[in-house]
This record gives sequence, C-alpha cells and structure tokens, in this order.
Amino acid sequence: MATAIIMPRNGQSVESCIITSWNKKVGDEVHVGDILFAYETDKSSFEEEAKMDGTLLAILHEEGDDVPCLENVCVIGAPGEDISEFTGGAAAAPAAEEAPKAEAASAPVPEKEAAPAAKATAEKAVGVSPRARNTAARLGVDLANVTPTGPNGRIIERDVLAAEKSTSAALKAGVPAGVTGTGLGGRITTADIENAKNAPKAAEAAPAAAPAAAAAPASVGYRDEKITRMRSIIGKSMKKSLQEIPQLTHMMSYDTTQIAAFRAALKAAPETLGLPKITINDIVLFAVSRVLLNHPALNANTIDENTMRFFDHVHLGMAVDTPRGLMVPTIFNADQKSLAEIAVEAKELAAKCQEGSISPDLLSGASFTVSNVGTMGVEYFTPVINPPQTGILGVGGMTDRIKVVDGAVKPYKAMGLSLSFDHAAIDGAGAAKFLKELATALENFQSLLAK
Amino acid sequence: MSKQVYVDPKATRAPRTITFADIDVNKYQKAVKDELGNIPNADLVQIYKDMLYVREFETMIQNIKQTGAYQGTEYNHPGPAHLGIGQEAAYVGQAYLLTTDDYSFGSHRSHGEIIARAMRAVETLPEDKLLEIMKGFDGGKIMKVIGDSSDDIRMVGRNFVLYGMTAETFGRENGFNRGLGGSMHAFFTPFGVYPNNAIVGGSGPIAPGAALYKLSNRKPGIVVCNIGDGSLACGPVWEGMVFSTMDQIRELWGDEFTGMPILFNIWNNSYAMGGQPVGETMGMHDHARIGAGLMPNELHAEKIDGYNPLAVIDAYRRKKDIVKEDGPVLFDIVTYRYSGHSPSDASTYRTKEEIEAWEKEDSIEAYGKQLIEAGLATEADLGDMKAAVTEDMHRNMKLAIDEKISPRIDVFGKTPNAIGDLMFSNQEVRSFDTTRKAEVNMPYEESPRAVMFAKKERKGIDEKGNLVGKNKVYQIRDALAEPILKKFYEDPTLIAFGEDVRDWGGAYAVYRGFTETIPYHRFFNSPISEAAIVGAGVGYAMSGGRAVVEIMYADFLGRAGDELFNQLSKWQAMSAGVLKMPVVVRMSVGSKYGAQHSQDWSALCAHIPGLKVVFPATPYDAKGLMQSAINGTDPVIFFESQRIYDYGERFHLEGVPEAEYEIPIGEPDVKREGSDVTILSIGATLYRVVEAADILKEKYGISAEIIDARSLVPFNYEKVIESVKKTGRIIVTGDACERNSFMRNLASNITELAFDYLDAPPVVVGAKDWITPAHELEKCFFPQPSWIIDAIHERLLPIPGYVPSHNCTTLEQIRENAAGV
Repeated sequence: MATAIIMPRNGQSVESCIITSWNKKVGDEVHVGDILFAYETDKSSFEEEAKMDGTLLAILHEEGDDVPCLENVCVIGAPGEDISEFTGGAAAAPAAEEAPKAEAASAPVPEKEAAPAAKATAEKAVGVSPRARNTAARLGVDLANVTPTGPNGRIIERDVLAAEKSTSAALKAGVPAGVTGTGLGGRITTADIENAKNAPKAAEAAPAAAPAAAAAPASVGYRDEKITRMRSIIGKSMKKSLQEIPQLTHMMSYDTTQIAAFRAALKAAPETLGLPKITINDIVLFAVSRVLLNHPALNANTIDENTMRFFDHVHLGMAVDTPRGLMVPTIFNADQKSLAEIAVEAKELAAKCQEGSISPDLLSGASFTVSNVGTMGVEYFTPVINPPQTGILGVGGMTDRIKVVDGAVKPYKAMGLSLSFDHAAIDGAGAAKFLKELATALENFQSLLAK
Repeated sequence: MSKQVYVDPKATRAPRTITFADIDVNKYQKAVKDELGNIPNADLVQIYKDMLYVREFETMIQNIKQTGAYQGTEYNHPGPAHLGIGQEAAYVGQAYLLTTDDYSFGSHRSHGEIIARAMRAVETLPEDKLLEIMKGFDGGKIMKVIGDSSDDIRMVGRNFVLYGMTAETFGRENGFNRGLGGSMHAFFTPFGVYPNNAIVGGSGPIAPGAALYKLSNRKPGIVVCNIGDGSLACGPVWEGMVFSTMDQIRELWGDEFTGMPILFNIWNNSYAMGGQPVGETMGMHDHARIGAGLMPNELHAEKIDGYNPLAVIDAYRRKKDIVKEDGPVLFDIVTYRYSGHSPSDASTYRTKEEIEAWEKEDSIEAYGKQLIEAGLATEADLGDMKAAVTEDMHRNMKLAIDEKISPRIDVFGKTPNAIGDLMFSNQEVRSFDTTRKAEVNMPYEESPRAVMFAKKERKGIDEKGNLVGKNKVYQIRDALAEPILKKFYEDPTLIAFGEDVRDWGGAYAVYRGFTETIPYHRFFNSPISEAAIVGAGVGYAMSGGRAVVEIMYADFLGRAGDELFNQLSKWQAMSAGVLKMPVVVRMSVGSKYGAQHSQDWSALCAHIPGLKVVFPATPYDAKGLMQSAINGTDPVIFFESQRIYDYGERFHLEGVPEAEYEIPIGEPDVKREGSDVTILSIGATLYRVVEAADILKEKYGISAEIIDARSLVPFNYEKVIESVKKTGRIIVTGDACERNSFMRNLASNITELAFDYLDAPPVVVGAKDWITPAHELEKCFFPQPSWIIDAIHERLLPIPGYVPSHNCTTLEQIRENAAGV
C-alpha cells in the first residue's frame, strides 16, 4: 500500500521546514535507512530517512519549498499504485479541518436544548457598529474607553462621539499647554501638536476641573479614579512595543574619568574659543553618533516583516522630559556634526520642546534614541524601544566604584549604559559589541575626538 | 355599469325558454377531386408539400431527441420538443386562407402552425414584399446564411422559414427571436405569426387583446387564437372568450363595431397531455358546444375534420368574413398526434392500436392518394416531393447547428449583458401611430375632467401653511388622470379598460369625467376578468398599441398571475426586442376592507424580471411617474394607495405643474432632509413617517431624513447610500407584510452597499405577517408613527427615557419568525 511521508515536527514551536535537497528521484528504489531528503528549520538541519522499502512514487514538494509540518512530502509504495489520495496535499488538509468541525458541532449540544437562538440575542452582545468603529478611528478614540448605549450593548456612533467629547474636556482641564501625548509612552506626536494648535484656548482651561472626573473617595481609605486617556494611551503603546518587539536590555558601565577631565578642561577653556556648554549627555550623544555607524542593525527601522531600512547617517532621537509629557526631537545627521554643534542643537531642541514650539517635523524620523534619566539617580533601566527603531540607549547616573589597577584599588566614577535592542534585528552578541565599543569610546573620549 | 342598458324588471322576470341552434360536426366530406376548380391545382399540390414540411421538421426534432441524429447528422438538443406529428392537415388547412394581416397566436405545440403559416406567406406574398421582409429582418442575418442568389425567391423563402425556425428551436442567435424564445415561444410577426405560448391556454386571454387592437384601431385582418382542447379547462381562456363576446361592442360602441374579430381555433387531439378531456377530465364531449354557452349566436361554432386539410380550408372559407363581421367564431378542429406530448412521453395513457388506427388514416398519405386520384400528381411526383423536402430540411438543419454559422448569443464572452439588455426596451415613444388623429369626443379643454383640473388648486399647502381643502385641491387621483387624459389626445392607439372605469370612473374615481370625453372603443368597462384585462393589454401591445389597464385592487393580481408574471413581463426579452410592451397596469392598495382587499403585493411584482414597479405617494410624483410610464415602452406596474387618493401636494411646494413633466422611474426622492436617521418609505406610509419625524424632532431632538422610494424596479440606491453615509441609520417602511417584502430587499442591499457607514443594521417596519383585520383594528397591523419611533429606540438609537409601545426587539423578531407570523 502506498504510504505518504510527512514533514516531521522537530520541536513544538516548529511550524514548517524548508526542503534543502532531495536525495531520491521519483521512480527510485528506496530502502529502510536511505536518506530521502534533507530539510532545515531556522535553527538546524535534518535528514529524513526512509522507514520502509519501496519505490518513490511521488514528490509533493520540491527543493526550497517551505512545507508545513505533518503535511505530505512524498509517497512511497509499489510501482503503479494509485497515489491520488495523497497528491496535492489535499488528503491531509480536510482531515485536519474535519476534527475542529466535529468539535464545534458537538460543543453546542447541551445548549441546544435551551433555545440557543433566543439566548444568544438575550445576552448582551457587546459589539461595535461599523460606523462607530470608523468614527473612532477617525477621531482617535479608543473603543475600550467607550461606554456602549446602543441596542444590546452595542457601541454606536454617539458613544464614540460622547467619549471623544469627555476625553478632550478632561485633557483640556489637565494638561496646561493643551498638548496631549498620544504616541508611544505618552510621547507627543505630530498629530498632538496639530491638535493643540487647533485648540489654542485649551491652555486657559482651569486645572481645578480635573478632580471633578474622580469618583467620591470611599470611606475605607481608597478612591477609584477613571484612568485618564493619556495614561491609557501610554499603557497601550508600551504594551504594544513590549508585545510586538522581542526586546531585551544589555547593561554595562564605563569609567567616566576621562570625560570628567575633558569636561573640566572645557570649563577652563578661554572664552575666545566660543565653546558652548557641553554636558555629559552631549558627550554620550556624540559618542553614539560616531559608534552607531559601525552597527547598522541598530541604526535602522523595521519597515515590515520583510523589510529593514538601514540609514546612511545617524539621526538621534533625544528624549526630553517636559511638563506636557515626554517628547523626542531628532538631531538629524548627528554623525556629521561636531560635539559643539550637537551640544548647541540638543539645547535648542530641548528648549523648544519645553516651550512647545518645536516643529512637528523634528519629532519624527529618528534612527536611534538616547534617553537619559541619570540625573534622577537611576543607575540602570530597561528603556522601551520606540518603533520602528531597533534600539534605544538608556543613560544612567554616575556612581562611585572601585577597580584594581596594577594591584592597587582605585576608586572611579562609573556611569551605567542600558541598551534595549530588537532581537529580531540584531542578536545579543552584536548588541553587546556596540555597547562595548561605545563604552570604550567614552572611556577614551579624547581619542574618539581625534578620529 | 352603463346607463344605456336598461334592466327592465318585467322583461327580466318574464317566463321563456332558452333555445340552441344545432352545431355541425364534420359536415365537410369532400376530396381533392371535388375542389378542382375551386382551389388552384398548384395550391392543391402545395398543400401536400407544406404538410410534408411540417412533418419533416417535427420528424427532424423527434429523431434528434430520440436517436441523437437526423439523416445521419448528429446533434443533441436538450431543450423542449412538443411535436405535432399527425396534426399537419389541420395546420396547413388553417394557414391556407390567412394572410399576413391575420394574426395567429399559438401554444407550446405550435411548430406546425408557424411553419404552415410561414410557408403559406412565402407562397402568397408578392415577391418584392417577401424579399423586403427577409432582407429587412434583424439586419438580414438569416439571408446572409441561406443566401439569396437563387432565382426562385419562393425557395429562398422556404429556406428562410426552415432555417429561422430550426435556429430558434436550437437557441441560436440567428433564430427568429435570437434563440431567446425557443421551441415553445417562436414567432415571426411579418408573416402574421404572433407569439406562441408555453403556458397551456396562455394565448387565450392575449389573442383577444390583438383582436381588440384590430377593432379599436380599425385594422384589417382577423386574429386566430390557437389553443388545445385541454386549455378549455383553464380560467383565463374562458375569461378571454368572455372578454371577446362583450355585448357592448355591438350594443354600445357604435354601428361600425359589430364584433370582436377573433377566431378561437381549438386543436382537439383528444389529449390534454395524457389526460382525456372527453371521457375523463372534462365533460363537454363536443367542445364546439361551448359556443352556445357564450353568446346567442353560439359563436358560429362547428366541429371540423382536421384530418382533411380541405375541410379546414372550407371552414375558414365560409367563416373568415363572419369572424370580421360578427366575431368571435369558434372552431373545434379534430386532429390527432402520433408523437408523444414530449419525447419523454411513453404514451402509457393510450393503446398502440389507437395510434395505429389513426396512422392508417394518416392525413398526408390520404391526401397524396387524393392528388393521384385527381390527376394532379403521380406516385413518383409524391416521392420526389418527399425527397426534396427531406433535403431542404437536412440542409437547413446542418446550417442551424453549425457553431460558426449559427452561434448562440455570446453571453459567456463578448456580450455578457445581452439578455439583461433586452429585459426592458427603455424607449420613449410618445405615440404609436402618428399618421392619424386620436378619436375623442371633444377638444381637451372641453372635457369635463379638464374643466375640473383647471379649477383645482395645484398646491397642497396654502400660504399660511395650512392644507388646502379636499374639494379644492389637485389630488393624487387628478395627478394620475391628467397625463392619461392628455395621452388619449396624443396617441391614437392608447386604450384604457378595467372594471367599472367608465361611468363610475373606476372604483376610486381616477377616470371621473373620461366617459364623456373618450369613445367606448378606447375606454370601456371590462368584465370582471383580471386575467383577460391584463392578457388583453399584452395582446394589444404585441399588436402595436399602448394600453393602460386597471385591476382595481392589488389583491386581485393573483387572478392575473400568469398574465403578469409569464406574459407581460417576459415577451420583450423572449422576442429579443421585436416586441415592445407599453402597458401600464394600475392597481390600488386598499385599507378598511379586510384581509382580501388591503394588501400591498409590490414584492410579488418586483420579484418577476421584466416588470417596472412604481408606487408614488404624492400628486407631483404620481403625475411625473405616470407620464414616464405612458411615454415609455415597458410594462409598468403602477401601485396606488387608496388611503391617499385625495391628498394634495404637500412636499413640492410649487405645486403640481399643469405642463407635462416626467419623473424618471427608478429614482427615490428625499422628501425631508435630516441628520440622525434615514426613513425610507414605500407608498402611503410616507405620511405616517412625516408624523413620526415631527415627533422625533419636537420631543426627542432627533432629526430624521425622509426618503420616498417612489419606484421599486428599477431602483437607484445612490441617494439612499448618501443619506446613510450621513445618518448612519435607516428604517425601511411600507404597508406590505414584512416577510419577503421589497422593504427586506432594500434593507439587504443597503446593508451590503453601505455597511461601513451603518451604526446598526437597517430595520424594516412593515405590516404584520397576518391577515389584515377590520378597519377598527388596523393600527395593530399596519406600521404606525409610534412603531417607527419604537424601532429607532429599540434597534438603532436608544432614546433616554423613552418607553416603547410596540415590541420590535430582536427577540420578538425571532419569536415571530419561529412562529411563522
């Protein structure tokens, strides 16, 4: 009897394998132990041995085919046997489909006796009308925050409009400058700036109105508050980044002795040089802009599942904490700018963000981001990647450490660097190399300047 | 009802006896030799040959059906074949004295009639006229195939008939009706052959309409209604006969009108499919008998031996003029078919001996012997004729089955919409006869109705915003009447009839004041015969006229089911555009009169391909749509609501113009703009929708957009979709019972076409799926303003604090459907 050979499942997570070579042709005699074909997953290579004697009657997938596990790959049997039931891979598929059908058919049986149709309708069918969905998308309203008032608990358009109205009222009350960060992590996006422009009077709204949205405090010592729209968006976008990007964080510290000396020297430099004030952060930005070009996978954007975009230059996103929320302006072509130029630009951008006068064009387009929370005493943290970027560097504060130099214990000031990177874009070793190179560059900053 | 006919109680109650004259049976017993000198010798021989042509055509089909080949040429014909082998003498005898002015209508077993009549036309038409017809037909397509090089134009004509008929039977584009009629519906009007009909007795009520056309328009020729003996059990056939025997033609229409020029020609082959009308399924024994039941002149009925072609010719010779002068006439023509009802017929209902006995008396064999006896032909001549006929048939059959020469309509390729494009003719023909003046009794301005129109206030709302009084306002009934009255003056072929249309003015006085204006032969009361009313409209239009017919209540359209659903709707496409069907069928939707007088059956009409369906609800729309209908060339089912006949124009604030205008059929109308919910109404619910919209606005601050569907078929959804894009919600309402109503169709299409814009599925608020109760209970049955608000609250947009009075939840919908009510 003709027998189909299936693509084995080598591991629970393996969904399909690619056939790399066929060792037998159709019509070849096959003996137990003969290698039929070789195949591979993204992690390893395998060979499939024949488990029966016979003739290879049909090859159902060619070299290079990505074959779902358990699907028929070839057929072995006696010459002339009917193999129609295996061809086209159709034989296995319906069988697989039948099983869930049977389950589905058997499941509702107990319910059937209790008039299932009526029950289904009686239940609160929480749905969203197509129009409400469209309106929510248009207005940027999160349907999770919409209270349904339609028939059978359906969210209808007026609910979306009501939610939009109350949210904007709350925001007007709570955000002094009238700009709401709706981007990742509460970042203020281009659209937010535009929205703020369209609502110039928002800043005048009374801040005292905010508590009005709160529920009355319970006597047992807590109070329930409706989650604000901004927090909700921050939560959602954080979740999205963390759910969709396989990200992890490498941490490393470096000795800041040289850059501290360098900064001291700068401070002592004659005014005639016209140097701007240069901060540790400027120095880190400069070092990143020089080192990053050696690591294209981190100076990149993920366009879609199949496409990465590698940038010719370094466009550094720079996290700025403002009263309105976190903003990330971009220093374009940072790799072509001097330390002084970077320092000046960073200061300007930060000031504009504080004022709320930043051009929307400068709030996007970064290829990599640097976030600095060191002044707050954080040593290391796990910054969250801002998609579609592939990495973000978290800069920590300075701490006293000791190390052994020539047999003697020597104290020094160390600074923590935390690199979160997208494992889909770069492996751990590659990311570590970048971090190491960056630390080395910072430790030998004067040499870097000479470069 | 007519004031002219006095019902004298004395005479009505006086004692007397009804007597009947004798009806002749098979009186003619002559042979060829007896007719020498009466009928030209060549004709006597040609009769034989024409019988051979009929038999050979039927034999060809029979051989193909039974053996897959004819004369060695293989072919498969899966379509129908109702053959008349054995009936040739009757067909050819009938055709002999008919001219192309005489219209014959037939049945599903009419190949023989068509071929006999067409062959006779080929023999008798002047050569130039014959050539003109053949070359002019459908761009000369048949002539291109058969060629016209032959010196013998009659032979070209025979090829024309055989090829055109075979191609039609086999569904080829070169057929007489582009293959869209097929075996049972073939016809060729230039030869006087009018549609044949697959419905038993289908021609019964249609042919009288053709006779009416000849009578009313004073056209030459008679109409022959060919029906089988089995069809005498069909109601519509009787209705057609009653319609044709109306006393008024002789008594009231005027001296020049002496009878309906129609001949009911019954092919009596003793079988109604397999049932036997004599001895089994009916009780007339001699069908000629029914003439005595229909009129005192007994329809000049007689029974004729149709196995002798000369007997049939003799009957037509004696009675054809009587048909014209004192019609109708009824012939019961004895014949017999050897072939089965259809190829699947195993003839289990009759004995072999019976068939053999008739075959022994075969009309063709017998007639051939008479020719030899009379010295008109030898045995060899007859053999030569048979061979020639077979060769002619075989040659044309081969042409007709050649895929290259005789392709089918290319619906799978270049012309995928070819059939769809034929469903409506969509033309504007203001008058179907511009050569003569319309016959009317007085100038338009003097017509009592026109005088009334002139006094009417054409606006329904006065300057103060109040409704204009009913007696003064120009009403929907006026709006329906005005274009028809004017059309009576413009199109001399326009005819209108129905029950009580004349003095009564129709049950709802739409035609009030027409009686004095329009002569009887253009405007008359019909018998209570809805099948004949609609059927006669169909026959009238087939003959080239325009008709507006009325069946009073929509509830009565079941009585005209075949005529509406198989005839009126189908013939434009089945004729491949040869026929136009400018017929308006008016019917009203009632209320107050209970279960059988209050139904909106628009969905039934909308379901049938080939009918346009309108339902105006305002005077402005009624006039514009009626104008479109009677300027057009398509059948239009015109629904009217009895609730609102007396309503003035409340939406079109300029009022209803006196001048002519058209509202295109198929365009809904936004009657009131709004932003929160759209309410789409069919018919008279419009006014309840307005009430609901007012309440919504005043009490709940909800702004409703009101759209009046106006038309059902065709229907342009664009305006509705635009509205739904704006409002996101729609209610569809009308007075029809909700299940399978046109409202459901609208709702379904709107869901598909505007899905992304909908805030909830469209909701249908129709009448209950019950009987219509008494007037006092109607508010539990027909949609009410409160139902519309309830539906908005429960299904679309819950209104805070609103308490619905009517359960229109989905649970109730499930319960009602589960119960089937």
